[in-house]
Amino acid sequence: MEILPEELKEKIIRSLNLQDITPAQIDNDAPLFGAGGLELDSIDALELVVMLEKEYGIVIKDIEEGRPAFKSVNTLVVFIAAKRST
Amino acid sequence: MVTGLGILTASGCGVDEVWKSIRAGESGLRPLTLFQSPRYGQVPVGQIQQDLIALGAPTHGSRSDQLGWLAARDAIGDATINLSEIADRAGVVMGCSVGGSFDSERFLTTLIKQGKMRARPTRYHECASVVDLIANEFGLLGPGMAVTTACSSGALAIATAAEMITAGEADVMLAGGADSLSRMTWAGFNSLLLMDAAGCRPFDAKRAGTSLGEGAAILILESEEFAQKRGAKILARLTGWGTSCDAYHTTAPHPEGTGATAAMQAALKRADLEPAAIDYVNAHGTGTRDNDLAEAKALKAVFGGRVPPFSGTKHFFGHALAASGAIEAVVCIAALRHQEIPPNPGFHTPDPAIGLEPVTKLERASLMHVMSNSFGFGGNNAVLIFSRPETKPQTRPPQSSPMAITGLGVIGPGAICQREIEKPLPAGKVVVRSCGALADSAWLTPNQRRRFGRMMQMALIAARHSHTPDPSQRLAVAIGTGLGCLEDAGMFLENLISKDEREPMPARFPNAVHNAPAAQTAIDQGARSLNSAPTMGEISFESALWQGMCQLKTGEADYALAGAVDELNKYPLAMGRRWKYWSERNVPGEGAMVASLTRVGNSTTTLARVTAVRLGRWRKPFDAEREADWIAAAVDLKNVEVILSGAGGWPALDENYSAVAAALPARAGRTLEHQTYKQLCGEFQSASAFGFSVAVQMAREKKCGVLLYTLSPRGGKAICVLQP
Repeated sequence: MEILPEELKEKIIRSLNLQDITPAQIDNDAPLFGAGGLELDSIDALELVVMLEKEYGIVIKDIEEGRPAFKSVNTLVVFIAAKRST
Repeated sequence: MVTGLGILTASGCGVDEVWKSIRAGESGLRPLTLFQSPRYGQVPVGQIQQDLIALGAPTHGSRSDQLGWLAARDAIGDATINLSEIADRAGVVMGCSVGGSFDSERFLTTLIKQGKMRARPTRYHECASVVDLIANEFGLLGPGMAVTTACSSGALAIATAAEMITAGEADVMLAGGADSLSRMTWAGFNSLLLMDAAGCRPFDAKRAGTSLGEGAAILILESEEFAQKRGAKILARLTGWGTSCDAYHTTAPHPEGTGATAAMQAALKRADLEPAAIDYVNAHGTGTRDNDLAEAKALKAVFGGRVPPFSGTKHFFGHALAASGAIEAVVCIAALRHQEIPPNPGFHTPDPAIGLEPVTKLERASLMHVMSNSFGFGGNNAVLIFSRPETKPQTRPPQSSPMAITGLGVIGPGAICQREIEKPLPAGKVVVRSCGALADSAWLTPNQRRRFGRMMQMALIAARHSHTPDPSQRLAVAIGTGLGCLEDAGMFLENLISKDEREPMPARFPNAVHNAPAAQTAIDQGARSLNSAPTMGEISFESALWQGMCQLKTGEADYALAGAVDELNKYPLAMGRRWKYWSERNVPGEGAMVASLTRVGNSTTTLARVTAVRLGRWRKPFDAEREADWIAAAVDLKNVEVILSGAGGWPALDENYSAVAAALPARAGRTLEHQTYKQLCGEFQSASAFGFSVAVQMAREKKCGVLLYTLSPRGGKAICVLQP
């Protein structure tokens, strides 16, 4: 099953309780963490770990493993697709 | 002076047993059996295996309370002290962060899984419960307080108790910490991915997190004079203590360890010691990647190229959270006594990023001064220095000076409305005083609004109203709470229990700790001096005020924010409804108040002055004459015209308030007006913080002295005097 960036963005907004932000406002290539994007922090990363397990059945035990995937919406889409095909 | 020790950990109960395990290098980490954990059951834990009742613990109280009681009994026995002879001069300060959560979780499980409301275990939910139990069971009438700065609580409790003795408010203090395991902290730390499935490996290159533990430890601290007079056996001397706040992040330490550095330096300064005098450091050493790296940087910053031998000892008994600072204080004192350095089990591979190696095998050494580090969530740091008994005592004259109130931020009083009690509790309605939608929440950043619950937002807004940060002034923050962030804690646990740990809420967990409002206020205001969240039922605010004033008196801070906050929540509403506690005249309320204080002379605007704050305990049955004597001894009543009391809340206390108000004029030699404030704000544990704002108003308008008088139904009492 294909992962749609728009659907993923909605899930991110919901799991992080992002306020006044619509999926359209999130650039697929903009950084999720640090400056220049959503400016999320390490606790948000942990919420995303829970979201990935709940929505996609992907279990991350070490946050380092998730770090490259959490760069942007697009890297996350690729990560989910790769995890689900294995 | 330390004259007695009591300790319970997963690697032994009693100092001798613990030291035997340390000598043998035996870890107490085992599989969890205290409760079922479907998701995290494989992770090792420092659980106490003995039956606490069989060890002699009282059958009432939470598991944390029982642990604390046992440590208190053993410490008193070790000090061979008769506390009943000096009850008025003996108090207790405990670090506690889990409180009765383990027991309340049983209540929640029955409620969620079976729809039955068995409320009894929740009676000991409060973190202050362990202080009430110890003070009431051992008859301590001096100051009592619980501090809840997560993992540094135990060390902060010891530092606070030492300040109370230095200030001349007590001769003997029981000081330490007690925390049991709980589903809350267990799932919380696991969901933050902070637990090492192999057991914690402090400072090791492959470290992957900490190990949770439980336990209690209590030190008997005595003033030099009192200990000499009674010929006490001296185990060690507490020569230094230092506190600081990273004001950086909710859970992570400052990456450069700046707060840890500041706390170690403050402790050295207090002890009047050069870094080179420290012979051993018991590191906080949790085994998490961030803590150990930041702590190593801090050690290098403090000690330069000559970092003393150090070790993290959490692999022995796990990280017992609020108890750990006290447990490790006992380890340090035992090290001084045996002249041996405890090892750091779990360490095998050096980490080049850390660039330091801990002691791996028990070593004999000549130890004169040793340091114990404790760092907690929210960047709350506390460092203690213990020295051999023969060390020369330092003297510091007790200072007492009035402090100027430069600002007040108040959320409340709430408006009367009806509140529906929500699921999973049985349906019902209660009349409440609610602060409603928070005005000025637009002041908060989007991240603060989306992440923080109501109570934290209340504290942040109140603090912003009271104070405008000035980077050139060192700022301390002490924000008390009676029940903590119940909304966040409740939501986290309901979700955990109903979904069998399937979808934990990592972002909720750090909000659920009692020090979250204080820690977030520090981040918001850039406050890097003491950060504390005291809790003591109805006198939680006065406890915070005491700590804030102490920071100003000792010169550790230029400004202090002192306040308290509690929120309306369905659980206390439902309990009060069931126990027919709420009535037309006793309406549950909520609110936050933060006052900004500084030394008189440092301020440009002064709303009023605080001239005295005292904490104590009242003995049952209530003796108004005795209580009036206590107030008259602590306060110059000549300059007081109004007594503003907490009457109008707990019905059982009204008579006591009136009797004391009636007994005071004879001691003051003048009439005193008795006023109350709870008819305005409703009943909640931080209500006296609101009372404080009323007292400031009164002192200004009537141009007279106001005595704020607060009693807690479980034995706490406090007075605070305001002058125009």
